[in-house]
Amino acid sequence: MSAQPIAAALPEFPVKAASKPAVEMAALALRFPVGRGQTRTIFENLNLTIYHGEFVCILGETGCGKSTLLRMVLGEDRPTEGALSIFGQPVNGINRACGYVPQKYSLFPDRTVMQNLAFGPECTLGPFKRWTHRGRSFRGEVRTEALARLKQMGLQATDAAKYPHQLSGGMQQRVAIAQALMMKPAILLMDEAFSALDPNTRAGMQSLVHELWRETRTTIIFVTHNTHEAAYLASRLIVLAQRRNETGAPVGAEVMLDQIVPFAEETLAARRRRPEVADLVQRIERHSHGAFSAAEEPEAESR
Amino acid sequence: MTFKPFEIEARPNKLTWMTLSWLLFAVGIGLYLQESIKRHRENPDDRVIPTVTQLAQGVQNAFLNPAEEDDDGSAATLKWWQRLPHSMIWKDTAASSRRFLISLALMIPAVLLGLHIAMFPYIGALFMRFVLFFDKIIALSVLPILFIAFGIDELSKVMLMVIGVAPTIILDTCNLAKSVPREQVVKGFTLGAGNAQVAYGIVLKQIMPRIIASIRLNLKPLMLFLFAGEMIASTDGLAYRIAIMRRHMGMDIIIPYVLWVALLLFLVDASLRFLNKRWHPWFKED
Ligand SMILES: Nc1ncnc2c1ncn2[C@@H]1O[C@H](COP(=O)(O)OP(=O)(O)O)[C@@H](O)[C@H]1O
Ligand SMILES: [Mg+2]
Repeated sequence: MSAQPIAAALPEFPVKAASKPAVEMAALALRFPVGRGQTRTIFENLNLTIYHGEFVCILGETGCGKSTLLRMVLGEDRPTEGALSIFGQPVNGINRACGYVPQKYSLFPDRTVMQNLAFGPECTLGPFKRWTHRGRSFRGEVRTEALARLKQMGLQATDAAKYPHQLSGGMQQRVAIAQALMMKPAILLMDEAFSALDPNTRAGMQSLVHELWRETRTTIIFVTHNTHEAAYLASRLIVLAQRRNETGAPVGAEVMLDQIVPFAEETLAARRRRPEVADLVQRIERHSHGAFSAAEEPEAESR
Repeated sequence: MTFKPFEIEARPNKLTWMTLSWLLFAVGIGLYLQESIKRHRENPDDRVIPTVTQLAQGVQNAFLNPAEEDDDGSAATLKWWQRLPHSMIWKDTAASSRRFLISLALMIPAVLLGLHIAMFPYIGALFMRFVLFFDKIIALSVLPILFIAFGIDELSKVMLMVIGVAPTIILDTCNLAKSVPREQVVKGFTLGAGNAQVAYGIVLKQIMPRIIASIRLNLKPLMLFLFAGEMIASTDGLAYRIAIMRRHMGMDIIIPYVLWVALLLFLVDASLRFLNKRWHPWFKED
């Protein structure tokens, strides 16, 4: 795949100068040892800055390194070279400024919904203060907040006592988002969070996340391999593509398209109707040679 | 109804199913009784295949009479429940159970070690190779060393069980802990959990039902090592009694003992399974 950028489907908007950088990657390289002294290059000289308040959708074919990119932001995978900083601080160890919603295993299966939600806040309490007077009142507040979060995510209070395996896939992801939000993360990282859901549930979840972003302006980095999903949700759309050398071996993913979406503020329903979105999707499809899924999504459920 | 033993799609009805499942028991008991009656017709003092009467007498002796003559618990004036705690089978069961429970309790440090090996790279580096080495050692082959090192009393028998079973439990736990999806660990950290909270609160808690399942699978090896130790060097215990009884052909005691041991093991296994279900209602076997 060539490295030429996709001709802009929309007028280029400059990134808002007012907003601060949230994630900065400078000349980042990541290589995994694959035995016999060889390495596999996932990223090479990657430069990317994500700004505070952006809803960044990262699109790319399976295996191009999207999850790995998120894991680097999380501090789970350490870059081999280059600098990675979050709000100006170099990443060192797992990053607690981030909320994480993976595609699978997003909830603790041994805890009820309520216990899942309370897990984060109660970690701050420490093991011994749990049964003190202050601890008990703190836990009461956490419970109240958790119930509010559940409601915000469209779940009922009666779901609080259920175990994750008693919930549908969509409800599980709602709880997972609520769980991450309990810690008021500065950056929300979602890794194919809706990929396992059926199209209708998925559309509902998309409007949920989009509304959440419109209301709170939390920085969201949303990884997907679905072009429509990316085009509907993003305030900035980044397409990653794996570059290959003459022999076809991967030599690191690069940014193939970095596009600000100017009508990000509009509701999801309004965005879905915009011809520019369809145009954007088409252009991405053409340039990626159908590398990622373009299955049309049904209209968002009215909620 | 037709009988189709080699049909995969066959659907035997309830009655047939029950009859078939008990058939081999009935045949076994029938053959035993027949052989026993035949032998006793030839020699009324035969001890190799005791009759039902002899077995009943053996059971009564085991449950009511002490093994040693100096114990006065056999006084016929006492009620049966007063005689029971002095009886042979009671004391043997108590001795074996004590060893069994001690080694079962020693599986807790084994589980913790396995967890730490899996979770903490430095601890893993320190212990992993050593445990793998111990896992390769045939426990019974070090029995003489154990007797020399720990004497021939309790400690050496418990050590035999620990050396025999602990490496399996450690490695099992380690594999289980490593199989917990990385997402769960990362998620835990992003939610503000510390190392201990991730290791115990997330990983250990999640794999606990599987650890108990693994311990259940290892109950039989544990008993095997217990019996080996007791048969070779002991002055009490279930296996000691079986070994002693062999010398004077005490089949009337040995057969009830064998069944008793099977029952005990079944009960331990069943209660672990029950507790596992009870403690981990969220757990779904996949
Ligand atoms: N720890 C690792 N060691 C070696 N290769 C890895 C490791 N983690 C990921 N990879 C490789 O990195 C590539 C990108 O993986 P991933 O980020 O999961 O892709 P995506 O999420 O875009 O589908 C894959 O080819 C994968 O095999
Ligand atoms: Mg992925």
